[in-house]
Amino acid sequence: MEAFIQNWLPIIGESVIETFQMVIISLFFAILIGVPLGILVVLTRPGQALANKVIYQLLNLVINVVRSIPFIILLFFILPFTKFLVGTTIGVQGVIVPLVIYTAPYIARLLETSLLEVDNGVIEAYKAMGVKTRQIIWNVMLREARPSIILGLTIATVSLIGATAMAGLVGAGGLGDLAYRFGHLRYEVDVMYATVFILIILVQGIQSLGNRLAARLKKD
Amino acid sequence: MIKLENITKVFPSKNGNVTAVNNVNLHVKKGEIHGVIGYSGAGKSTLIRLVNLLEKPTSGSVSINGTELTTLSPEKLRQTRQKVGMIFQHFNLLKTATVYDNIATPLKLLGYDKQEVKKRVEKYLKIVDLSDKQNSYPSQLSGGQKQRVAIARALSQEPEILLSDEATSALDPETTNSILDLLLKINEELGITILLITHEMNVIQKICDYVYVLENGEIIEQSSAIELFTNPRKHTTKKFLDTISQRKLSVSLISQLKLNGTVTRLTFIGENTGQPLLSQVSQKFGVEPNILTANIMELKNDIVGNLVIHLVGEQEQIHASLEFLNNQGVTTEEVEGE
Repeated sequence: MEAFIQNWLPIIGESVIETFQMVIISLFFAILIGVPLGILVVLTRPGQALANKVIYQLLNLVINVVRSIPFIILLFFILPFTKFLVGTTIGVQGVIVPLVIYTAPYIARLLETSLLEVDNGVIEAYKAMGVKTRQIIWNVMLREARPSIILGLTIATVSLIGATAMAGLVGAGGLGDLAYRFGHLRYEVDVMYATVFILIILVQGIQSLGNRLAARLKKD
Repeated sequence: MIKLENITKVFPSKNGNVTAVNNVNLHVKKGEIHGVIGYSGAGKSTLIRLVNLLEKPTSGSVSINGTELTTLSPEKLRQTRQKVGMIFQHFNLLKTATVYDNIATPLKLLGYDKQEVKKRVEKYLKIVDLSDKQNSYPSQLSGGQKQRVAIARALSQEPEILLSDEATSALDPETTNSILDLLLKINEELGITILLITHEMNVIQKICDYVYVLENGEIIEQSSAIELFTNPRKHTTKKFLDTISQRKLSVSLISQLKLNGTVTRLTFIGENTGQPLLSQVSQKFGVEPNILTANIMELKNDIVGNLVIHLVGEQEQIHASLEFLNNQGVTTEEVEGE
């Protein structure tokens, strides 16, 4: 046991750090793109504040197209775009772009669902009070949807962790890559177990954190 | 104060156009409470949303305080809306905000400074009698308390007009009464003009000065509350009146009674005009009045009495008695049997 820890701790530690790097950086950019995208989808819906059939359907199409491509294919499919954007297609840097493109539409969809759950009556009440649409988005829609948004982001983060496992294919490392290279290719079963164990803890932790945060914000 | 002229609202739908509101004219004077009553689907909700342009009219004009709303820029419309408070059947409060924040948030968004916000929240929570609940969340409140918060939220903008969209429809009878009392208080003490829609005749009875009966998007009858209660003309209006008083007798009973006499409804204003008149009739004309139903309805400003009597006697004497009653200011109406 001690020998195992001494041998593998640095490597596993490094993988954990890589996974965290990928998840945190991609999540940040995915939120930055996904949230406005989700809001826009809701607002351009027929009957909403900025109702616009063309934009609405275009956004839906884009989201659906990206969401239909499995990550492993997306990763290679957009290689030229990745190269153009960050100058490299390998390493953590190279994998961030596909991870963001993979996660952002997912977040947009989840956000859309959350926002649509907000009681239309409250929005109407604020409109009747003469509050600006922009303020209603922030102070009514996003505010009321917070618990549901947090749960959505939790789901997105967990699926993002899953996607990072494939990052090894472009040499970005991470826990998934570790399990694959050492656990599978080299039959180091212990490493496989350790990695899976860490992943389970990670996902559990994120899910309970999300649940707890959502429960605290939810008041009904 | 509020003036709707020839307002029509048509909703396009797959099966052709639906006219929700058809050529409605409505004029609410300052300081009065006007009520629109109608069954579900009559167009009430659409009508009240046309007043603050939550629904845009297909044609016609909406003016508030002489300002035509339909031609205002979005920015000017927003400013006008701030002077028109609105309350709803389902309260429409922020679930994730405390009572205090539910009232404070719109004020902050409308640009009032912190001190003014605090002052107003406290003032209006006191008016609706909920000062001790300011840190509660809506889910911890009863329906009546939620509506009070919504009323405080509407009042905190110090509007001149309050629109009430079925504000008591989700409440039990006792809570309904307390909310109606609050609306009366707001009307009397703050001088706020109120336009409400409802399907409950007791709401009209208790607080309205003037009533519109809406059916299929059209106003089929309108009059002061006292006139409507003493002299309803349309069938729908009578049906609404039947919901609050025991006006209705079974057709078979009436037919049976009619074999020897008439069944007549007497309506009079004031509380004690009915009884002495009946004994006078009995003495003068030798008829026997037998009271079948009787009730007194307290309107906002008046009291209306309602008696259904069975008059037994000679045809001629009955006729003379009814004429006598008419001359004394009592409305008489023969109740139809089969």
